[in-house]
Amino acid sequence: MAVKDRMMKRQAVYDLCDIKLSGASDEELKGISDALSLGLSLDEMKTVRDYYAREKREPTDVELQSLGQAWSEHCCYKSSKTFLKEFVFGLNRDDVLSRGDAGVMIFDDDYGYALRVESHNHPSAIEPYGGAATGIGGIVRDVICMGAQPIGLADPLCFGRPDRQGELPAGIKHPRYLMNGVVSGIRNYGNRIGVPTIAGAFYFDEAYTGNCLVNVCCLGIVKRKDLLNNFASGPGEIMILFGGRTGRDGIHGVNFASKDITATSEDDSRGAVQLGDPITKEPVIHACTELAQRHLVTGMKDLGGGGLSCVVGEMAIEKGCGADVDLEKVQLKESGLAPWEIWVSESQERMMCTCTPDKVQEILDLFALWDIIATPVGRTTDTGRTRLYWKGEKIFDMDIQFLTGGPVYRRPFNMPVPVRGPDRMPALPAADQVLITLLADPNVASKEWAIRQYDHEVRACTVTHPIVGRLNRGGPGDATVLKPVYDRWKGLAAAVGCNPWFTAADPYRGGMASIDEAYRNVVAVGAMPNAFTDCLNFGNPENPDRLGEFREAVHGLGDIARGLGIPIPSGNVSMYNQAPGGEHILPTPMIVCCGLIGDVRKAVTADLKRAGTQLFAVGDTKDEMEASLLFRIFHGTGGQVPLVDVPRLKEVSARLLKAMGEGLVLSCHDCSDGGIAVAAAEMAIGGDLGVELDVTDLPGQDLNVKLYSESCSRWLAEVDPKDADRFRKIMGDAARPIGRTGSDVFVIKGTDARIPVSKLRSAWSEPLWQVMGGRAQ
Amino acid sequence: MKAQDVKVCVLRIEGTNCEDEMVEAFRTVGARPEKVHLKQLLGQCSDGLKRSLEEYDILALPGGFSAGDYVRAGALFAARIKAAVGHDLKMFVEAGKPVLGVCNGFQVLVELGLLPAFDGTMAEQPEAALYTNDSGRFECRPSVLRNDNRGNCVFTTGIKPGALMQIPSAHGEGRLLSSDPRFLDRLETGDQVVFRYVQPDGSPAVYPWNPNGSPSDIAGICNPVGNVMGMMPHPERAVTAYTAADWTRGHRSEDGDGKQIFTAVMKYLSKR
Repeated sequence: MAVKDRMMKRQAVYDLCDIKLSGASDEELKGISDALSLGLSLDEMKTVRDYYAREKREPTDVELQSLGQAWSEHCCYKSSKTFLKEFVFGLNRDDVLSRGDAGVMIFDDDYGYALRVESHNHPSAIEPYGGAATGIGGIVRDVICMGAQPIGLADPLCFGRPDRQGELPAGIKHPRYLMNGVVSGIRNYGNRIGVPTIAGAFYFDEAYTGNCLVNVCCLGIVKRKDLLNNFASGPGEIMILFGGRTGRDGIHGVNFASKDITATSEDDSRGAVQLGDPITKEPVIHACTELAQRHLVTGMKDLGGGGLSCVVGEMAIEKGCGADVDLEKVQLKESGLAPWEIWVSESQERMMCTCTPDKVQEILDLFALWDIIATPVGRTTDTGRTRLYWKGEKIFDMDIQFLTGGPVYRRPFNMPVPVRGPDRMPALPAADQVLITLLADPNVASKEWAIRQYDHEVRACTVTHPIVGRLNRGGPGDATVLKPVYDRWKGLAAAVGCNPWFTAADPYRGGMASIDEAYRNVVAVGAMPNAFTDCLNFGNPENPDRLGEFREAVHGLGDIARGLGIPIPSGNVSMYNQAPGGEHILPTPMIVCCGLIGDVRKAVTADLKRAGTQLFAVGDTKDEMEASLLFRIFHGTGGQVPLVDVPRLKEVSARLLKAMGEGLVLSCHDCSDGGIAVAAAEMAIGGDLGVELDVTDLPGQDLNVKLYSESCSRWLAEVDPKDADRFRKIMGDAARPIGRTGSDVFVIKGTDARIPVSKLRSAWSEPLWQVMGGRAQ
Repeated sequence: MKAQDVKVCVLRIEGTNCEDEMVEAFRTVGARPEKVHLKQLLGQCSDGLKRSLEEYDILALPGGFSAGDYVRAGALFAARIKAAVGHDLKMFVEAGKPVLGVCNGFQVLVELGLLPAFDGTMAEQPEAALYTNDSGRFECRPSVLRNDNRGNCVFTTGIKPGALMQIPSAHGEGRLLSSDPRFLDRLETGDQVVFRYVQPDGSPAVYPWNPNGSPSDIAGICNPVGNVMGMMPHPERAVTAYTAADWTRGHRSEDGDGKQIFTAVMKYLSKR
């Protein structure tokens, strides 16, 4: 039987097909999955066929579409779940208040803070402006449905080099174009909804040319008594759909996210990219926080991947309920949508809340004040089934357990085998040239071009800024510190960390190093790391090499988080990040670390404060040069990928925080890309102050290793000479002096380098402006 | 009047997004601020939420992107205010009550004709506009302002002429332009210039110290009577010293420079 003969259009006012699955051959099952763009494999289709055999009927297209959404990699993590369970889940601590759509941690006795990061990679590769904007929209909804007020956004982004020359693969857009679009999308959405973009990161590598990464993170603050669930509390509750209208934009978005980008993705999948509307969103934030504060709803949830088809079941199943939905009540952008389109549309700015029937009018009144469309579309039942009706006629009736259960795979994987060249330190130019080159690399150079386009101060809670130091002449900051409650001095710090190059060379060590970087950024401002959220961007899980990278990186993340005793209350996995032609991205475990600081007035920034002070290297510098920035630029080979010594990290950071708490640390900066030399130069740029860098006292023989090794768990700290003894006493063997501040020249002892700080500044601050247009501060 | 009797209407519509910190700033100086949606002034809400402009002593228009700013910045919000409560607003201003517009709020005041309002309370047509920044980009960065008002403006009551204040900017459209060739002269003559962008040492600003390219480095102006003031930088973000971009490099006081503006208007009202 031809596939089209298995689809029978129903005689009805709405557009619906009954699909004859019984007796379908393997080929026909695959054909049906393809014809309806379900993205289901043959085995999955067989499971579906058997389900309907047990139900003794044939499915409707709405039902099959719903399964296609619920069982996608994006929605049910079918390839990744096994490994997440093995290494990451179950990291519990009693200050985790919720692991809902966003994780929520204790902030203080009265407040909790929410955190979550997720990816919006594939839409952004097709339509960078809209993809990034709707990415922000989605992550903000994850935070507001916890009852929280969004207080900060952080956006780690990965692109090919913006100055890339030469031909691009078919269907791929230039990195500069993508970067411009993504940053504009973040700016125009984030600024409009009044949530500051406080942190971020840019990673540039040829491997991202075919598949850029756009990760979006949102933080929120919520009174603990107002914290919301993301599900109904029982049967007999009303389900209210609110926010934007439903349209044809964003259909099959999750399926698009669950396969590789191809040369024809632009044409095939443009409809999968949603359209954002920040001015619908902004009042939704107000209304949702008020709903939470007035305790009017029992649960709230964002409509993300899979739209209504996912949210209804997920809100019902938690307490074992079913749900009945009247699909014709859903307010549409345009008429003529088929029921299945309404059911799976991923149109933006939509959310659902559940409430007891007596609260409906009060809720609708609140939405009306803000001109927000809100419609009761369904109710929870005690049936354990999702049933859809079109003007009373049943078009969908499925067991929720089956629908949301989804398959779990143990796909085959290959343990990564590092490919290492002979140990070879590259031939280097003069030391001043090396430093200038490292500072000007786009991975190190100033991101001011983007940072100043984002409002990072709206809400007036931003205590330490992304750019620190002299006004309009600053250097890079580490973590951003927020003061989320107006009348309290307690602070929340947030920072991004990731090292895709380490992860590519050694996924296990790279996973650990990524957490280490986010952690030490938070420590650098004087905050105690408290929670992580992760966005795991990897390649095609059906390729055993890619899945092996994923497994080992997750293994590393789990080991370090467990060792540190820090929970990961939320996260996201993005697979199938592969360009046309099969080039895969660097494995990219993007980490956001949040930390707490008792009094923001004790926060420390990275800019050098005054002349005549001492500079210390905190932590252990080892010969760990593999995948370092120096090796990548000057083609060194061999060596070791930095390995985190977790107990040592804990010990050293505790000592450093103690010293900071005593006010002994004038400035502090995380030591990462480019090692001690680059970290010291960045501090000099921020303070507009010279340094005489002298690494003689560090262990080891090779000056270049001491200057440029990227060993983990290290910081540089500036200390007043009068406090140096006390500082060294606290730090023990973890701090070694590496020079003094003064004059306006950066000197590296043991080399000929004598570089005016102004020259360092232009090397560091100008590259991105030159590529993207505009001018430096 | 006493500080605790000063009722502040912080007016908002969809896309207004700096209202929380505006409320907080007025609370810090002892006033009683309230967030009010424009529909509450129109009576398009339940009875308990209805408000009237005359109940309030100060009107504050906060920053943001009212109605998305998809037309000219502030134009939609201004049109809605004018249609809804234009008369009440005129009465409010003529009663000498202070009106503050920050960033998008400044743009709204100019669109409403309340600024510069050379020839009366409220011009029929806007006499100026806040254009796209010279750089063509949104600019979020520190700025330093000099109080150039000679005593006319109620929002600088007690602030020394020539005083420098560090108050951050964050806008894409802040270049104050007018087709009137005598625009700057008239502002100057009428003591309607309130703040100018300068460098930290007080010398004339160049980009980025003047983040938008406003002629004569103008950052804020008032009406001829001095009770309506609009400014692009955000004083409500500088109420405490600890939100300044460089406070870790040392600071004179626990208070941020922006707080002086809120203190000033309260001082003015205390004498009424």
